[in-house]
Amino acid sequence: MAYLNIDSQKDRTYDAIVIGSGISGGWSAKELCEKGLKTLVLERGRDVKHIKDYPTTNMYPWEFEHRNEMPYQVKQDNPIVSKCYAFHEDAAHFFVKDNEHPYIQEKPFDWIRGYQVGGKSLLWARQTQRWSDFDFEGPARDGFAVDWPIRYADLKPWYDHVERFAGIAGDKDGLPELPDGEFLPAYPLNVVEKYFKQSVENKYPTRKVISARCAHISKPQPIHIQQGRTQCQNRTLCQRGCPFGGYFSSNASTLPWAAKTGNLTLRPNSVVHSILYDEQKGKAVGVKVIDRNTKEEIDFYAKIIFVNAAAINTNLILLNSTSTRFPNGLGNDSETLGKYVAFHNYSARIYAEYEGLLDYTVEGRNPAGGAYIPRFRNLYKQETNYLRGYAAGFGAYRSSYADTSGLGEDLKKSLLNPKLGSWGVGSHMMGETIPKASNYVALDKDKKDEWGIPLLKISIDYDQNDEKMKKDYLDTLEEMFTEAGFTNIRRDDNWQAPGLDIHEMGGVRMGLDPKTSMLNKWNQLHAVPNVFVTDGAAMTSTSTQNPSLTYMAFSARSVDYAIKEMKKGSF
Amino acid sequence: MKRRTAIKQLFILAGGMVIATSCTRDRKKSTIALSNLDFSKEDEELLADLVEAIIPETDSPGARTLNLHLFVMKMVDDCHSPEDQKSFVEGLKKSKPLKGKSLGEIQTYFSTLPKEDTFFAILKNRTIMGYQNSEYVMKNKVIYELVPGRYDGAVKVNS
Repeated sequence: MAYLNIDSQKDRTYDAIVIGSGISGGWSAKELCEKGLKTLVLERGRDVKHIKDYPTTNMYPWEFEHRNEMPYQVKQDNPIVSKCYAFHEDAAHFFVKDNEHPYIQEKPFDWIRGYQVGGKSLLWARQTQRWSDFDFEGPARDGFAVDWPIRYADLKPWYDHVERFAGIAGDKDGLPELPDGEFLPAYPLNVVEKYFKQSVENKYPTRKVISARCAHISKPQPIHIQQGRTQCQNRTLCQRGCPFGGYFSSNASTLPWAAKTGNLTLRPNSVVHSILYDEQKGKAVGVKVIDRNTKEEIDFYAKIIFVNAAAINTNLILLNSTSTRFPNGLGNDSETLGKYVAFHNYSARIYAEYEGLLDYTVEGRNPAGGAYIPRFRNLYKQETNYLRGYAAGFGAYRSSYADTSGLGEDLKKSLLNPKLGSWGVGSHMMGETIPKASNYVALDKDKKDEWGIPLLKISIDYDQNDEKMKKDYLDTLEEMFTEAGFTNIRRDDNWQAPGLDIHEMGGVRMGLDPKTSMLNKWNQLHAVPNVFVTDGAAMTSTSTQNPSLTYMAFSARSVDYAIKEMKKGSF
Repeated sequence: MKRRTAIKQLFILAGGMVIATSCTRDRKKSTIALSNLDFSKEDEELLADLVEAIIPETDSPGARTLNLHLFVMKMVDDCHSPEDQKSFVEGLKKSKPLKGKSLGEIQTYFSTLPKEDTFFAILKNRTIMGYQNSEYVMKNKVIYELVPGRYDGAVKVNS
């Protein structure tokens, strides 16, 4: 990283600034740098260098002080982040602790954050299903939110572009609701997942069970080798950071690639306070940063600004960027900023056992996690008592168990000779939620964090639609499980709070009409065209697919447009 | 290049991380440094007997050799609630008469405890956890693969 001389404004001026170094910020940075723009990437957290800063990556279970269990006091002190499935001794250093960055929950919201270079791209679940026109046409067809200003055809070339570089494993399944892409070989379904696929697809022709598409290099191509990445080694310890670069993260992929161009300046420990708006010029001119450690205030300048701070923090930055022209947040002529936040309904799971195929087991580990069931509800027409639908994950595992009832030599013998049990199967739902003005984030009027930035109030909740959808998911999966001969079916409808899905989206939505949306079809603020938002905040609706791949595609597409506009002299 | 770095790092890390031993000269203190609880060297010896009765030495190392008594102490100290810790300390105190008794006698004592006995539940669970996650077992008996490098979803087994 270049030494930053902060004395003169000239030295603090770049062609482009990217706020955030996570999955979308990394892509914005890569594309901007590759196209020759001197780019400053601001990251609020510490630096995390690929491999070098993955302290636990090669540790064996016995090398963890508590064998990967979080200590009691840490859990007591951090009730929110402790709910996250990946918050254990091996990855706790990549998660924000509750008391480090407080926020106000007007309604329960488990906000899971990763403040470091790479952000949550180090920690993500790596599922990469494309969105389709069944998603982009949803709001217009079903009469909620506003119409998306784009369709699948607008995004398709950019999905192709990011998939080739990131490395996505998957099958070409030929499903219009889940378009095929530029795939590396898929990870196989195991015998029970295959059996379930046949059972479901025979009985219900419109329901599909496919190998989940994921951002793992199943077979490296020259473009991956050039990034210094190699084949995924099936460790499934991804949350520690991967020494092979087997899965996609900003740290392993986009950021080093951007750095190689010589155009990247990465500044960690830079908490963005606001975007600077020049009333005379009628555009944004830079970004105000508070140094995380020294608390010093520094302004950086650029012709264009990409906001990739992760959905909720992107809202926070825009809300805090006030001026005479924009007293309620940058570009907020529509008064929609911070509103229409939505998420994925992950609040139900279902488990069972399967007593068949006992002459098979699995070996090694599957980074794809198993199967994916694309949305089949209300796909071609409205057919249920709720809007939209859900996708589902599905996985089967052969359990192994040891009888621990004994003592002494018997117990020891049993522990050393674990037996194969029945197959366990499980599924979780990913439901589309309807964006509403009443699900919002806003700035607290009084309370500020230690960098002088207002605390965020979060007021996001489930509704009746989510409740009906959840019931249908459980009933439907139970029926499909029963049909497949699974036994001991357990429904788990623990209403986890929104947020824990880590798929929060919206608040700075795209739309055709500046009166009802924040961003145009190029992810530009309608009212401040040199500011682009290409992370989850831009989403008009949520689809049922994991969203990260779509943020990557939007980022690359948006940079391409921004550069064409720059050449025309628009900024 | 990255791969070489990764392999180098593997060697560095493989050597690291054993339970920290405190350098205290006070012979009555336990061997490891604890934050919440105060076990004496005598408690530690007793715990070593108790864990050994749960997983004894046979043709392979038992709980004492694998230092599982130290692991149990560490886990009770860091990973249990104050209520659990209190029950554990009380249970250990009640076990004092077992000092110097044979493994068989200790096992008999365990079998007389009520099923819901918190002390014994913690002791046994943590001993088993420590055993299953020990370097010895994971390297020699029930092998843990850090880098499987493969996934086969249909492996035939004899059942």
